[in-house]
Amino acid sequence: MTSRRNFLKQSLLGATGSLLVPTFLKAFENPNAFAETNDKILVVVQLSGGNDGLNTIVPYRNDLYYQHRPSLAIAADRVLKVSDELGFHPALAPLQGLYDQGYLGVLNNVGYPNPDRSHFRSMDIWQTASPDRYLQTGWIGRYLDANCPGCSVADQAIEVDDTLSLALKGDNIKGLAMKDPRKLHNAVHNSFFHDVAQNNTTEGVNDPSLHYLYKTIAETVSSADFLYQKVGASTAGPDYPQSDFSKKLKTVAQLIHARVPTRVYYVSMAGFDTHVNQQAQHQRLLQLYSEGLTAFVEDLDQGDRMKDVLIMTFSEFGRRVAQNASGGTDHGTANNLFVVTKHLKQKGFLNATPDLLKLDNGDLIHQLDFRSVYATILDRWLEVTPKKILPDAHPTLDFI
Amino acid sequence: MNDDPKTKHFLNRAAFGPAPGLKTPVNTPTWIKSASHNRPIDVIPAVDGTAMTPDQRSPKDAKTRRSKFLDELTQLNTTWISQMVLPETLWREKMTLFWHDHFACRVRSAFLSQQLNNTIRREALGSFGDLLKAVSKDPAMLQFLNNQQNKKNSPNENFAREVLELFTLGRGHYTEADIKNGARAFTGWAFNPKMDAFVFRPRVHDEGSKTFKGKTGNFSGDDILHILLEDRQTAQFITEKIWRYFVHEGPPDTDIVSSLAKDFFRSDYDIHKLMTTVFSSTWFYEQRFAGNRIKSPVELLAGMLTQTGGRFEDARAALFFQRALSQVLFQPPNVGGWPTGTAWIDSSSLTFRMTMPALIFKNLTTEYVPKDDGDANNATNKAATRNLNCTVDWASLAQQFTKASTDETLAVVEDYLLATPTTAANRKLVATQASRSTRDDDWMKQAFTAFMSLPEYQLS
Repeated sequence: MTSRRNFLKQSLLGATGSLLVPTFLKAFENPNAFAETNDKILVVVQLSGGNDGLNTIVPYRNDLYYQHRPSLAIAADRVLKVSDELGFHPALAPLQGLYDQGYLGVLNNVGYPNPDRSHFRSMDIWQTASPDRYLQTGWIGRYLDANCPGCSVADQAIEVDDTLSLALKGDNIKGLAMKDPRKLHNAVHNSFFHDVAQNNTTEGVNDPSLHYLYKTIAETVSSADFLYQKVGASTAGPDYPQSDFSKKLKTVAQLIHARVPTRVYYVSMAGFDTHVNQQAQHQRLLQLYSEGLTAFVEDLDQGDRMKDVLIMTFSEFGRRVAQNASGGTDHGTANNLFVVTKHLKQKGFLNATPDLLKLDNGDLIHQLDFRSVYATILDRWLEVTPKKILPDAHPTLDFI
Repeated sequence: MNDDPKTKHFLNRAAFGPAPGLKTPVNTPTWIKSASHNRPIDVIPAVDGTAMTPDQRSPKDAKTRRSKFLDELTQLNTTWISQMVLPETLWREKMTLFWHDHFACRVRSAFLSQQLNNTIRREALGSFGDLLKAVSKDPAMLQFLNNQQNKKNSPNENFAREVLELFTLGRGHYTEADIKNGARAFTGWAFNPKMDAFVFRPRVHDEGSKTFKGKTGNFSGDDILHILLEDRQTAQFITEKIWRYFVHEGPPDTDIVSSLAKDFFRSDYDIHKLMTTVFSSTWFYEQRFAGNRIKSPVELLAGMLTQTGGRFEDARAALFFQRALSQVLFQPPNVGGWPTGTAWIDSSSLTFRMTMPALIFKNLTTEYVPKDDGDANNATNKAATRNLNCTVDWASLAQQFTKASTDETLAVVEDYLLATPTTAANRKLVATQASRSTRDDDWMKQAFTAFMSLPEYQLS
């Protein structure tokens, strides 16, 4: 199997082009370059719009829940009960399967102090891991910056989308956004872009901005070629449900099976902003989510890669406890967060059920800071020190 | 620098690059005067007093409202893009764009956004003190920063915090107590139900004594702004920001910046005077500051329109490009404004930026899908157009730029479009691209498109 380093060496001699960045190559000669540290992979799933956590993991024994949501609550007899207090939304049967297998950990009441109820700001807070300061870098981008100094490999973190989220932008290194390796390859090859890449070099480009531009072009072409070569050889894999979300996860699975050195994948799914007539829409979204997720886990399991993967699902906020007048819910605060992996030390529901008695102006009060979850994943899964990545220190948890 | 490169550098920073037909070299004071016309945007009618509350959400209403939002936001956004590149307003618009980022504000109502935008436009070249006071009393800003909820018995510190942190002093130049007391002084600052004027509500104003920045008294909101303007740090903070935007993004030249800040403070925050000093200095034209600033998406887009004199066949195309590159006017990511510099550039955004000219000028299509921000009420998520074409008078550009030899023509076009020279290899690529056409106007179109697709075109 071609390693990235060999691939680059071959490219130097071969047809990929004259444009190669010296520092870029050096990183692969460095035995400490982080692609080698462990095989663990993080997949982040972002539910955009604010998923209604209370109708996702349902407190079906709680009278207050039914009082607050006279027409929107999930009736107790429809809830997929898994504990004395909590159960899954009926559309989450596949997720319950992961729960039964011991792969699922649910963290309740996750949030941050002084919650912001605007989508864009709260999403930025989650992506930058900084509720107080406005940052231009995201937590995964800073992970790239901190753990591979001098290395500038766009595909160490991949977002399956046309555009790159703030979460994956570091100061020096940024992740790579693409729909799938074939599209990326085509986009890079059938264009003037490729001609520019082929006919230039960063050598002698002294201005930092211009150097950065040429370096980005070089990395894009190199990454596109590498990923296409790797995945082109891999088999098609099992069937997934028909949805955009599933398609993205399938692309991630193909890359993981192809053993590209990518450590972090980022996938998002929108539509969770259910202000109006929530029921049918939420049902449909949860179904797409849980079916896609379980197909992904099965796919990885079949190729014996699930053992190396941790999937974290979050949303920028939950919804208000009470339903609104349009059969929907408005922007809320604390929410549940899912972790799916074979390496859970604690399984199922990992902390207390939401307290519907003690609310802040009708909103849940967060019990667990999301940055503790990030710190745990960085420290115990990706095995890097969270200190340089997260602006403030947060205690790690014991679930992995 | 000679006169022509000086003019180019000046226009890159004071506008969006040189425009066709402009006689060079330009005299900067004359140009500034001619491009300072104040033209308020008036495309969104006032909201009626019965503006809906968040709870009036019948599905049908929501749908009608969403399409109204979409129409209005699109109209406001695209009107500004078109106006931004008009010769008689260029300079004022560039400054308005700068302050639009400094006083970043994002509200749902297009009417409120338009109103604030016009406030900023009106004060953009005058005194920063007047600008600060006008923006601080503007309904959009008061709503965005929750000052309607800032009352004597339940103060909301959001407004005061941002005024200190982002609008005047900058982080590290105030205490938490200053914010608390400042917020108390701003209690009662609100706007009328028609949302078109500031009102002061004495009943919810905290009349108690406040200590702010070492001074004690029964301060009003106006007093707080006055104290902030008396603080030299405000002049320093604003000057540094001007420097980073108009001169250089790297570490500031401290001697020049402090001397500029001193003059700015002494001039009672005269923006016009500060900018004139910048553009008439010798250091502004030093090579180290030229051709190395990464254009923001809006600057890139406005540049393509300015430099070709083009107009979109469907104005909504401008919105598509803003969304694709993550800078939508009136929708800054937060009150801190948009990112800068290399934060704009990653693999996908750069690939897209370099394909953009072909989408606009050569009818190329794209499957690129901008990200859905998850907000069901953000109408721009649904804004789409397949027509990204721009109408350009290529024949007239051909007439203007065609020289005796092809090489000469290419050199002239390159110098006109690029802030920094490109490589010999790229020149060859552009020549090959252009040589495929036989007609003069098409040749010019190919050459322009190719030069604009180069990494060097990302810089100003």
